[in-house]
Amino acid sequence: MTLLPTTVVGSYSVPEWLERLKTEYYQRRISVQHLTEIHEVAIKAAVKDQELAGIDIVSDGELRRDNDVDYFLARIPGVHIPQRAKTDYFDYYEAEVTRPLPEHPETSLGLAGDFRFTRQLTARPIKFSFTGPFSLSRRIRDDAYTEPGDLVRALARRLNAEARELAEAGADLLQIDEPFLAGYPEQVDLAVEAVNIVTDGVPVTWALHVCYGNRYARPSWEGHYDFLFPAVKAARVDQIVLEFARKGLDDLRLIRQHGWDKWLGLGVVDVKSAEVEAAELVASRIRRALEYVPADRLMINPDCGLRHLAPEAARQKLRAMVAGAALVRTELIEGGQT
Amino acid sequence: MDVDLRPVRKLRESAVARSALGPIMEAVCASPADLARLRVVCDWIQYKQNFREAVVSRPVADTDTEIAFDLRRCADIAPENLAAQVKQALSGPPGLALEPWVPGRDSCIWRFNQLYWQALSHWEQATGREYEQSLPGGESDARNTEAARELILELFRIWDELDARRALPEELYVLELGVGNGSQARTWLDEFVQLDRRHGREYYHRLRYLMGDYSPHVLERAHQAVAHHGEKVSALVVEATRPAVTLGFLAAKAFLVYISNVYDNLPTDELASIHGRTYQVQTQAFLTEEDAEEIAGRFGTSRDGLVPLIDRLLRIGPELLSESSPAQFAGPGQAVAFWQAVWAALRLRERYVPLEGLDSYQVGPSLTGEILRPLIEGQGDVRMHVSNGALGSFTGTLPLLHPFGRIQCHDLFLTGRWQYRSGFYGPGKYDGSVVNWVNGPLLQLVGSRRGFGVEFTPFRQRPGSNVVTLTAQARD
Repeated sequence: MTLLPTTVVGSYSVPEWLERLKTEYYQRRISVQHLTEIHEVAIKAAVKDQELAGIDIVSDGELRRDNDVDYFLARIPGVHIPQRAKTDYFDYYEAEVTRPLPEHPETSLGLAGDFRFTRQLTARPIKFSFTGPFSLSRRIRDDAYTEPGDLVRALARRLNAEARELAEAGADLLQIDEPFLAGYPEQVDLAVEAVNIVTDGVPVTWALHVCYGNRYARPSWEGHYDFLFPAVKAARVDQIVLEFARKGLDDLRLIRQHGWDKWLGLGVVDVKSAEVEAAELVASRIRRALEYVPADRLMINPDCGLRHLAPEAARQKLRAMVAGAALVRTELIEGGQT
Repeated sequence: MDVDLRPVRKLRESAVARSALGPIMEAVCASPADLARLRVVCDWIQYKQNFREAVVSRPVADTDTEIAFDLRRCADIAPENLAAQVKQALSGPPGLALEPWVPGRDSCIWRFNQLYWQALSHWEQATGREYEQSLPGGESDARNTEAARELILELFRIWDELDARRALPEELYVLELGVGNGSQARTWLDEFVQLDRRHGREYYHRLRYLMGDYSPHVLERAHQAVAHHGEKVSALVVEATRPAVTLGFLAAKAFLVYISNVYDNLPTDELASIHGRTYQVQTQAFLTEEDAEEIAGRFGTSRDGLVPLIDRLLRIGPELLSESSPAQFAGPGQAVAFWQAVWAALRLRERYVPLEGLDSYQVGPSLTGEILRPLIEGQGDVRMHVSNGALGSFTGTLPLLHPFGRIQCHDLFLTGRWQYRSGFYGPGKYDGSVVNWVNGPLLQLVGSRRGFGVEFTPFRQRPGSNVVTLTAQARD
């Protein structure tokens, strides 16, 4: 793998016209068949955009998903969604479980099929991400489990089965997203325990993404990553993917302070601002990170998904990110530090 | 011929309103208009000072015509005179145009509005009363202690919770946009001090109260009203429609943004759906020939000299106008008299221009007309405010909110889109300013698309008032 590989966190820009079509599906104006075809075309364009920007490890842009939660909850056997109509596609479902989730359901979530579709579109490595069990559980009313952690664990087992199918389909880089965790710092141990259930026995490279929320391009919480440590060191993952561009680089100290010796996915592009970073700014953020993490353990990515950025802003930010990484890569090579 | 009777409540309650309908139809049918291409619209214009004649006509694209009646005034017009007014309206009022055809938000009426706030002291001097006395009830809704107490106690609850999680920022920001004479700030801060003393957490020491207003004069006066709070209070000149320009540093920091009677006073376009097609309402400010002659004669200028003189007034204000033209205006007072005469006589004519798709219309720099689709589509014929200025202010303010922050805004909000089919909501004249009700459902929709729950409740502290309270805070 190239030095300082560039990648995305997961979601890609959802253009206004696609938002409108997604909503029209819920208003019964277009069929599921047409929406599926629209999604496929959009995914092809998203992959192509990433390739043209020079991203080393691409994603499908999560363009089939209405938001970070519903796509999964709607497919997990045992999760009940009483009202599936939506005023706007991005709204969350109100989901509930009234009895424990079935442990060995016959149907899968279909994520492996989504991966296969993307695999045939590109020769580049693919990152496939899905929302983690802790965050999924935050959007479910639990009337089934007496111990709340048991719902998280049950979801984790469900996702573990899904991860096994993804690995069998050829996925080799899977990412668990926990966008809600920062709002519940006192439950980080439970979240890590659940992550380990998801990753158990799945022989791929695992990434864990923790941010401060990106719902409607706004942080849902404020704070620092202190709460992650040292608990996250017990997570059986190979990378943690964190946001730094918006929040500043102060939390890099935690990497050294707690002796994090695996990969770091460094957020160098603010996804909550349409202002495009200069390549030099990206480079300076990477140089600063190199004071804490060696180059051979640093991956370069945006802070979070690009969903809320306009298409052109997303493309420009990715190009800036790639150019910034290239600047530092050249410096490292010329400096003989590789 | 379509007939659109909007003031449904008035029609039920008022024999005067009903009595006007017969003569109106007689007058319309006696007119030379092609009735198959005519829309008749009846409103009840509650503003005694407004921009309309009792009867006006509006071209709909190049093919149809809308003729609009103010029932309140039509009831006082003799039938034969009404027929004459219809004929005159259909022939198009000549008058003295003060501007080309423009979207509503670009009309010079907003320059007048701006001048009112910039030169408020001169206006008040001329009228002998402060602007608050022009408000219904004679005072701003901002002085209510009970309302302030509720807000402050809710803030204490949130801060206590955050503090318990060690997530309370060192500085606690509260922002007031549109500060009036400072009475809201004074009431709020004085109440805060008392409640904080009782609460015992010393939040007052961490409080940063920011006052934002477009008018330096207003800001200065308001700042004096809270001088006893010293450095707790900062005053900033803020363009209400683009708060982020001045207040960007406040992103995600404000726990409360308090706005009172600002949105109804910001520029707006209007869009209409007629027979399934969407139109933009374009306007043109003008003076009737009679008014133009009268004002020109009174202030020593010609009819043709009036337009540049008005433009000059709007550019430099009454004080400089009198200084630069002492022969014409003996002092600022006389320049203000000129301003007031023009303002009183100012009229708007309108036309409907087809839109080539909602997405081709920009509500604001980053918002297309697509957002209006759920409100304007499939609703039959409807005409509504876009409330561009209010939306700009609202969407520019939302990012300033702390994740646990809220906007509380008291204003003239419509709370259901159906209201546009049953009433007239501006523009009208309020003293020297423009007033429009604000398209609440649109703000609600835009807020929702940005992850905020937006709710409307009656303004509890003044029952019976038209003022509605909007509250916006993050959901999910």
